[in-house]
Amino acid sequence: MTVASRQEMFQDLMEEHKKILYKVCNSYCRSRDDREDLAQEIVIQLWRSFPSFDERCRFSTWMYRIALNVAISFYRRESTRTRHVLSDEERILNAVDETASQPEEIRILYQFIEELDPLLRALVLLYLDGNSYAEIAEAMGISEANVATKISRLKQAMRQKVQRTAEV
Amino acid sequence: MLELDEMRQKWAEQDRKIEENIRLNRRLLSAGSLSGARSALQRMKFFLGFGAVVWIVMIVFLGNFIYENVGVLRLALPGIAADIYAIAMLAATVGQIAALQRIDYGKPVAIIQKELGKLRVMRIRIAQWGLAGGVVVWAPFLIVASKVCFGFENFSAAWLVVNVIFGLSLIPLAIWLSKEFGDRMGKHPVVQQLMRDIAGHNLNAATAFLATISEFEAD
Repeated sequence: MTVASRQEMFQDLMEEHKKILYKVCNSYCRSRDDREDLAQEIVIQLWRSFPSFDERCRFSTWMYRIALNVAISFYRRESTRTRHVLSDEERILNAVDETASQPEEIRILYQFIEELDPLLRALVLLYLDGNSYAEIAEAMGISEANVATKISRLKQAMRQKVQRTAEV
Repeated sequence: MLELDEMRQKWAEQDRKIEENIRLNRRLLSAGSLSGARSALQRMKFFLGFGAVVWIVMIVFLGNFIYENVGVLRLALPGIAADIYAIAMLAATVGQIAALQRIDYGKPVAIIQKELGKLRVMRIRIAQWGLAGGVVVWAPFLIVASKVCFGFENFSAAWLVVNVIFGLSLIPLAIWLSKEFGDRMGKHPVVQQLMRDIAGHNLNAATAFLATISEFEAD
């Protein structure tokens, strides 16, 4: 495969799965600049790892693994990172600020995700995106039974969170 | 009351809006833009690679110094002490590069995060032991540098002992300074990282994260 065709294939796949990039960045970063820094890190890592992508696997699972691994590492070095301020032309991911029109439930959900440790964040993100327990287990590197246990606990924690929010 | 499963449906509904609201900058996804950029992992490899080159130069230089002064023990012995330190630091640096080469972000999250956590612990321990060793061998390094730069070589045994003790006394001082001021160095990320390494904060955080991963895997 030539560099040009590989690049075109990569761009098309990124376009098709840009929501993964958006959701991972939104779940691990609060500020717009941090989200963009993370998006760039993820895209660079995806491009670097792209030659080793096995086409027999689902691109979304592979992308999720890389995006989540980069995001967790990014989140953990948050305090020692050099920050960049970018113009719109320099941004890989441009999003209309939808937080104002975001439904209350989604806002609560993002709040709930923010309170979780980085590994559970990854798991809940995969669950919300409609992945099966088997797919989540494959992406996370844990057993299906373990995924089921964690999802069950998360459901309980979510119930409590909604209840607390309703009381306030 | 909304359940997580209902939230999942709302999330899917929100997905359609996200699709409409976001656009990718395809220009920045060109091979030219992406190939020139370095990932965090590559930046670390580059930094470690540069460190390895510095240690290799130092080892060659010290080897030459030992060879030239093999008959003069008061010079050869400091040279050997400094060389052992440089070889140990090179081995530690190469070990980190080898561990980094094995990292494949396409592997499952828990596995890669565990590998990264272990690598982080390794890096912090090397920084701590490197600093402790450095303050011990700084006197032999000074003897070698004084001989090479100024031709001065008349160091007494008492001078050497006093300087090694002085070096050792710097360790508790460095730990105290790092604990007191490490968190206030936010404007200097590299200095802050080193101070948090010395204070032990980073090691505590790294081992705690490894424990979190083990718990996550074991449930």
